[in-house]
Amino acid sequence: MIQQAPVSSCRRPGGKLRRRRTLVALSFIAPNFIGFALFTLIPVIVAVFMSMTEWSGGSLGNMKWIGLQNYEKLFAVPQRYIDRLENPNFFSILGLFFERVDIGIALKNTVTFTVITVPLTMVFSVALALALNKAVRGAVAFRAIIFFPYVSSTVAICVCWNFMMMKNGPINQLLMLFGSSFNKTWTADSNMAIWAVIIVSVWKSMGYYMVIYLAALQGIPRELYEAATVDGANKWQQFTHVTLPQLSPTTFFVSVMLVIGCFKIYDTVALMTGGGPGRATKMLVTYTIDEFNASKYGSACAIAMVLLVLVLTVTVLQFRMEKKFSAD
Amino acid sequence: MAQTGLSASRPVRRADSVAATVGRIALYVVLICLSAVTLIPFVWMLSSSLKLDREVFEFPIRWIPKVFHWENYSLIWTKAPMLMYFKNTAVVAISVTLIQTMTSSFAAYAFAKLEFRFRDTLFLCYIATIAVPWQAYMIPQFIEFRSIGLYDTLLAIMVLQAFSAFGVFLMRQFYRGIPTDLCEAARIDGLSEYGIWARIMLPLSKSAIATLVIFTFIGTWNDYMGPMIYLTSENVKTVQVGLRRFIQENSSDYHLIMAASMVSLIPVSVVFLTLQRYFIEGIATSGLKG
Amino acid sequence: MKKLLALSLSVIMVLSMVGIAAADDGVVLKVVAWDVNTTTYYAAQKEAFEASHPGITIEYVDVASQDYGTKTSTMLAGDDTSDIFMIKEVTDILNWNKAGYAEPLNAYIERDGYDLSGFVGMESGYAFDGVQAGLPFRSDFWVLFYNKTLFDDAGVAYPTNDMTWEDYKDLAIKMTDASKGVYGCHYHTWLSAVVNWAVCDGVNTLVDGEYDDLAYFYNLYFDLAEAGACMPYPETQAAGLHYSGAFGNGNIAMLPMGYWYVSSLISNIQNGTYEVKDWGITAVPHKEGVPAGASFGNLTGAMINAKSANKDAAWTYVAWLCGPEGAKATASTGNRPAWVSEDVASVMSSVEGFPTDEASKAALLPSMVSIEIPGVDHASEIKTILNEEHSAIITGEIPVDEGILNMNDRVAEVLGK
Repeated sequence: MIQQAPVSSCRRPGGKLRRRRTLVALSFIAPNFIGFALFTLIPVIVAVFMSMTEWSGGSLGNMKWIGLQNYEKLFAVPQRYIDRLENPNFFSILGLFFERVDIGIALKNTVTFTVITVPLTMVFSVALALALNKAVRGAVAFRAIIFFPYVSSTVAICVCWNFMMMKNGPINQLLMLFGSSFNKTWTADSNMAIWAVIIVSVWKSMGYYMVIYLAALQGIPRELYEAATVDGANKWQQFTHVTLPQLSPTTFFVSVMLVIGCFKIYDTVALMTGGGPGRATKMLVTYTIDEFNASKYGSACAIAMVLLVLVLTVTVLQFRMEKKFSAD
Repeated sequence: MAQTGLSASRPVRRADSVAATVGRIALYVVLICLSAVTLIPFVWMLSSSLKLDREVFEFPIRWIPKVFHWENYSLIWTKAPMLMYFKNTAVVAISVTLIQTMTSSFAAYAFAKLEFRFRDTLFLCYIATIAVPWQAYMIPQFIEFRSIGLYDTLLAIMVLQAFSAFGVFLMRQFYRGIPTDLCEAARIDGLSEYGIWARIMLPLSKSAIATLVIFTFIGTWNDYMGPMIYLTSENVKTVQVGLRRFIQENSSDYHLIMAASMVSLIPVSVVFLTLQRYFIEGIATSGLKG
Repeated sequence: MKKLLALSLSVIMVLSMVGIAAADDGVVLKVVAWDVNTTTYYAAQKEAFEASHPGITIEYVDVASQDYGTKTSTMLAGDDTSDIFMIKEVTDILNWNKAGYAEPLNAYIERDGYDLSGFVGMESGYAFDGVQAGLPFRSDFWVLFYNKTLFDDAGVAYPTNDMTWEDYKDLAIKMTDASKGVYGCHYHTWLSAVVNWAVCDGVNTLVDGEYDDLAYFYNLYFDLAEAGACMPYPETQAAGLHYSGAFGNGNIAMLPMGYWYVSSLISNIQNGTYEVKDWGITAVPHKEGVPAGASFGNLTGAMINAKSANKDAAWTYVAWLCGPEGAKATASTGNRPAWVSEDVASVMSSVEGFPTDEASKAALLPSMVSIEIPGVDHASEIKTILNEEHSAIITGEIPVDEGILNMNDRVAEVLGK
């Protein structure tokens, strides 16, 4: 049976053969990598360097190396707030950091947003893909419709959702039927604004990831299901023992892309809440762009690096998990 | 559905079919509700595209315009060189899709099925660059592009989009799902790695390639930031940049933006609808086998 | 790692050396601007200038207005050689000057004995430590637009040029008629539309780190919103309601807005897209103790790129554009030039569609105009902070006092106080 076969790799041979294999591998990668290195990787490496400089434009010679000062400035909790604390200790100062300092607030908002949006989107997109993978009548139309938010104008989407989540709007009225007493415009409420962004983001990207899962479902060999049926597996067992494991490379892709996409959330926020009210939905990228617009390029890059470190940490963890899964 | 019931006894089968019918109805209800919500922005776009500017943000929303201003759809062609924008965007989107699909499926094969030093590090580099907000490296990249004479050419957008990490990552993941035994068997049969890629991997990854084509085409078609920074002359601008001429400092012609957005949706929808059959064929064959 | 950095940097350096600089033939001036196709004055300026200056051609480079700052900053950082950059925000020119992109104009002004008197001191908005980094050609101060038809229908006297904010509040409440859906006034979502009035006294600024004076205007807004005299902020913002559509629909009695709205109001009435027919302007109301007719405004101007190969021709154009001749071309399209004189004012009021009453004409000459946000160090960061706290205050998420305390604290932090 195919699924029982060990996933073997082709490592054994040594010396010449290995060198030849490396060359072959490099020849596969080269066409893409050269373009990638030249047009993306090099500028990114320069940005890493820029995060340790002070530069507000002008000739490149104006760049001043200042080491980690940009980072120190970003993470410093202003003394005036510490002085006001009744009982300054590590935890109360940490609290201040997440409540008062721009990067602390942006980190808190971005992580909250990501932690909620990623699982929700994944569950919805898998469910939709499974539902629409069957030959239900109208599957083609449903797929196209659900994919639609991804292609339509973000402006239109944000305008419509803002309308729906307004005071006395349809969503508030619906919720009131279920006993909610909330009747404010979502995007103007410090607690609900982030939920408004989450809902729109999940709704906007589930069709996108549904398509990826649909494609992945096509790649699962039919024999696996047939074998499972012969072994007496029911639907649910087929799902957990065949579908899910077979989807795991795709799930890895989806989870990495989603995590990155969520950490980089910007335009939905800009259009719906503008980062407000106050700083309730200020995100890391919103902050980067503010600094960029103030011509503080070093600081803008430093914020981007904070984002990069966050994403890399999560991605390496995901990578480990992928290795573990595919080794099983 | 049918194949699971084959070995079951009759009464169970009837209970199964009742449950299946109920399930099916529930599924339709959910799908229809979801589609309805999803279509609201589309309807808003459509209705706004037929209104006057000042009516677009009227509150409460008037879903059906008082007067249908069909002339908006002809205005966009005269008020802006939309035809040229469309041509430019098509050139860019098609070439990016071609280059991206070719090079990334090629590279992805190495990342998924070959062993070499620094493979994982290199791959992590690809992913890492997706994570960096563009604003952070926009200036170094701009200086680079300008100095090699790419600034203000369509070529800039092509190279910007065509070698993105996204395609490599997507294809690598699909290739990983293909059993390695197949490659091993082919190697024993004397196929070269290039042969394996062309004869085995490509045919097996049709649905993945369809996905990549859809996403790359749509992504390039709808990209705004890249063309905004790199394209300055009128004769190279793309649709998304061209649309901004309807948004001005102190007023915005949202009715025209929406009309042009509706038109701009056509090519994207055509691509999606043509390629989505690759997500269906599998079903048809499995149905036959059952 | 270090090697890698050095390598990447050197790649960029080498590439930038082999780069080809665009060769200009010295007669075509590239002018980077926004909304070129829809802003009426660009064409008028180009036509008038080229007619009187054979040998110099103006070629506009159009940039989307929303992203003007981002794109121009990137262009300039990437050694763009376009000759002239239009200045949209004062913070732009501040940063450009700091980065050395702006050609200082002092020497040109001195050489030609260029007359600055018509700017009545406004050119100082673009002067940083004595360096004149650009010159203004347009100056938009804020006025009060009102819908004459609504006032006539209600039998209420029109607003006047010497109203106080208290008078304005009473009038707005009086004009409100919920049964007809008429609002007494309308506030756009910007900070400047709600509280920037505090700088009209010429003493306060938005960059000094003291924001206690904004409380008066926030309270004024909340009084009006509570009385139902204006649409509440959360709704305006969520609905994406634009002030032009709001006033254009004809159910807003009064709208404080920048002078730029005049030209689009006129053209939209002429082509029949607006419901509002008969309108007028007055000076914005004033606070007790501040002279009537005092307003605030902002400048639009031009900068010569230090990397331009045609600096002399560029100066010829900028000098013309910002001076009396250019001012007439700008005024002929219903816009308010930075250079003001009797001639220019008469050009402005004789634009077809401009209200014919004397009060509206008088409103064209404000007694005093303060700068909305002066271009000082950290101005863009301060603007971000003020906008963030503004959105928290005006949605009622935090009390006015707390929001103002936050503004004071955060700006003090930026200023290093």
